[in-house]
Amino acid sequence: MSELLAVGRYEFRMQVRKRSLWLAMLLLAAVIALTQGDRGPRYTEAGAPAREVMAGWALLFGIVVPIGFGMVLADRLVRDRRLGTTALLESLPVGPRVLLAGKYLGGLASSALPGLLAMLVAGGYETVHRGDPLMLAWAVLAFGLIMLPGLAFVAGFALVSPLVISAPLFRVLFVGYWFWGNMLPPEFLPSLSGTLLSPIGDYPVSWLIGETALYAGVPGWLSFLRPAPSGVSVLVSVVLLVLVGLLPLVVAGTVFSRQRRTA
Amino acid sequence: MDIQTTGLSRRFGKVTALHSVDLSVPGGMYGLLGANGAGKTTLMRILAGVLPPGGGEVRVGGHDLTTGAGRTAVQRRLGYLPQDLGLYPDLTPREFLDYVGLLKGLDDTRARRQQVDELLELVALSEVAGRRMKGFSGGMRRRVGIAQALLGDPALIVVDEPTAGLDPEERVRFRSLLAGLAGHRTVLLSTHIVEDVAQTCQHAAVMAGGRVVYTGTVPDLVRMGEGATWEVVTTTGAPPPVGVVVSAISRTDGTHYRVISSTAPGAHAVPAAPSLEDGYVALMQRAPAQ
Amino acid sequence: MPTHRLPLWRYESRRAGWAARAAPPAALLVTLVMALLTASGGAGHDQVGQLLLTGLEAILPLAVGMAAVTIVARDGCRELQLSLPARYAGTLGRRLGVLALVGAACAVAFTAGVWLSGWWAGPNILASPLVWAPPMLWLTGLTVLLGMLGRSVVLATSVVSALWLGEQLFAGSFVALDWTRPFFLFTTSRVGVGEGWLTNRLALVGSGLLFVAVVVLLLRRPHLLLTEEEE
Repeated sequence: MSELLAVGRYEFRMQVRKRSLWLAMLLLAAVIALTQGDRGPRYTEAGAPAREVMAGWALLFGIVVPIGFGMVLADRLVRDRRLGTTALLESLPVGPRVLLAGKYLGGLASSALPGLLAMLVAGGYETVHRGDPLMLAWAVLAFGLIMLPGLAFVAGFALVSPLVISAPLFRVLFVGYWFWGNMLPPEFLPSLSGTLLSPIGDYPVSWLIGETALYAGVPGWLSFLRPAPSGVSVLVSVVLLVLVGLLPLVVAGTVFSRQRRTA
Repeated sequence: MDIQTTGLSRRFGKVTALHSVDLSVPGGMYGLLGANGAGKTTLMRILAGVLPPGGGEVRVGGHDLTTGAGRTAVQRRLGYLPQDLGLYPDLTPREFLDYVGLLKGLDDTRARRQQVDELLELVALSEVAGRRMKGFSGGMRRRVGIAQALLGDPALIVVDEPTAGLDPEERVRFRSLLAGLAGHRTVLLSTHIVEDVAQTCQHAAVMAGGRVVYTGTVPDLVRMGEGATWEVVTTTGAPPPVGVVVSAISRTDGTHYRVISSTAPGAHAVPAAPSLEDGYVALMQRAPAQ
Repeated sequence: MPTHRLPLWRYESRRAGWAARAAPPAALLVTLVMALLTASGGAGHDQVGQLLLTGLEAILPLAVGMAAVTIVARDGCRELQLSLPARYAGTLGRRLGVLALVGAACAVAFTAGVWLSGWWAGPNILASPLVWAPPMLWLTGLTVLLGMLGRSVVLATSVVSALWLGEQLFAGSFVALDWTRPFFLFTTSRVGVGEGWLTNRLALVGSGLLFVAVVVLLLRRPHLLLTEEEE
């Protein structure tokens, strides 16, 4: 356990010092916050509850912030090979599964930090703007319920996929996937948008605001993954996102362990 | 191909890597010694046209390196082996040399291929010429590096820390190879390994803190240690209280220390004949604090 | 091109990397799969045609831009390259040229296939390069420029991806404003080939060339690329 925490802590430290992590994610958050489109949280009515307002902000940031998140993490394991640290890490008495898990946790924590900061800034703004002290608390809650499960889902794939298909190819496919799997109307073509596996947080937001945020539950492909938004479906969505995000790590961990045994 | 620098300086942000460097390098093998961070690599990069100088004058073979035309003219007659030579791992040594040859303007395919084969033979890589370089040892990579530097029969060869990380046998082989090249060329060898210079160069310069603190012959540099090199034997195991310890060997009668100090480091200290390393350390002791 | 330079192009093609060479066909392959899924879901002819056009105008340029920034950002032998008499800008130009060639060849083949199979929903076939070439030039130029200025692949790819996504999501807002309309990347697939289409294409080509010109200017000081890329 202490090894896992040590790997995670140092991965966190390395990542959090990256200028590009902060620049990319805060720039994206600032641009989307200022532009918003015609359905952004700025258009939420004056007396709306904090839960509704901050869920709107989380959905808004969820459109682009995970893009920066995926781009940052796409390099992490590939980078170890490029810098020649793989051999050093393999020589340590720590198993590849622990290394991978530590990198996952550290990477997730550090890359999620700018997202949390963006939510806190939005919460602070809304506290002053709407005079509701609950905004900050809901900023944290909305981050944990809406953004974090999606980021955990993305982190697993962003860490492992580039090892197979290379970082540049992953980045292209990731942007395409993010659009297809979250924002494309399900009636346009078969997609994962509006399902329990939509990492943008469609289900939690729809549940918190009491109406369909994007396409949660809208009929479409894989109908068994499209229940009506409710507390239970939100819980199922969160658990599913986290578990499916862990799948690539489990596969990679097994492959790495086998490689080390046969090396 | 001679090298002349006058008042050469270079800054990186707030850090000054070179302070008004004046250096004159004639033909033959020339050593450039200095600790890590002394400014050697910056100087090498400027001489190779990789970095533009920040200020001052640099002339190589009469060409002004502060101009684009001058840099290109020097690069046409230059062989450069950088400190961190990354090779393209998917290429074989033969392909890599062929590629660098093309970029050096060796357009005659037959002549280029012949030269590539000759150089592979020279650096004893003919047997692996068709194998991809991924997985090559440090020594093999260095030999590929020197072979590419020799493409086009350059008049000036600049090599930066070429023996760092090599095993003793590879290092000796590499040194001999470099020394053999210096006949009708200028070979500028930058290193922090004093032994490399001792074994190959007649002339050397020493850099510290971005400045040239010594230029002259290698025997003169050795003489810097005269009167400052001592041997002391202690039975307590503790090093002498003054001077810089350059070696310590534990024997049955006590620990034998070799110490560089301007005064005798103890009542029983015995003067010793200096080596190049002793001369270098004595010079560094006398060099003004940076 | 003199024949003795051909081997150099072959080497630079390998230096561009397999990922760069694979990105354009992969992008169009993904488009084809999506179109097949859409068609099998009972979508109409126009909808499938629109999707195929989106692949050409939106997905392919994004793939080329992402691959291009990686080519410029990473070179294991950069210091040695800068010591050679061949200009490094030329070397990078050849590598990017290979990528552009692969992208263009894929686009032409894809267009021909779509046109011959009767799914083409774009402009006159002779004007078809204007569907993909302007956004490809624009996105590639911008990605490479950002990558060089920030010395960070992450920053460049994040900003360009977000811009791409933003233009897709808020297409209406981009088209509604006079000053953003000429620079909207997906006019063919999202608005159609009507009034202002050619102006939009020319504006994209013009601004794309501007990005390329700045990149070329920056490459006159290639030693700036020696600063360690942020890992």
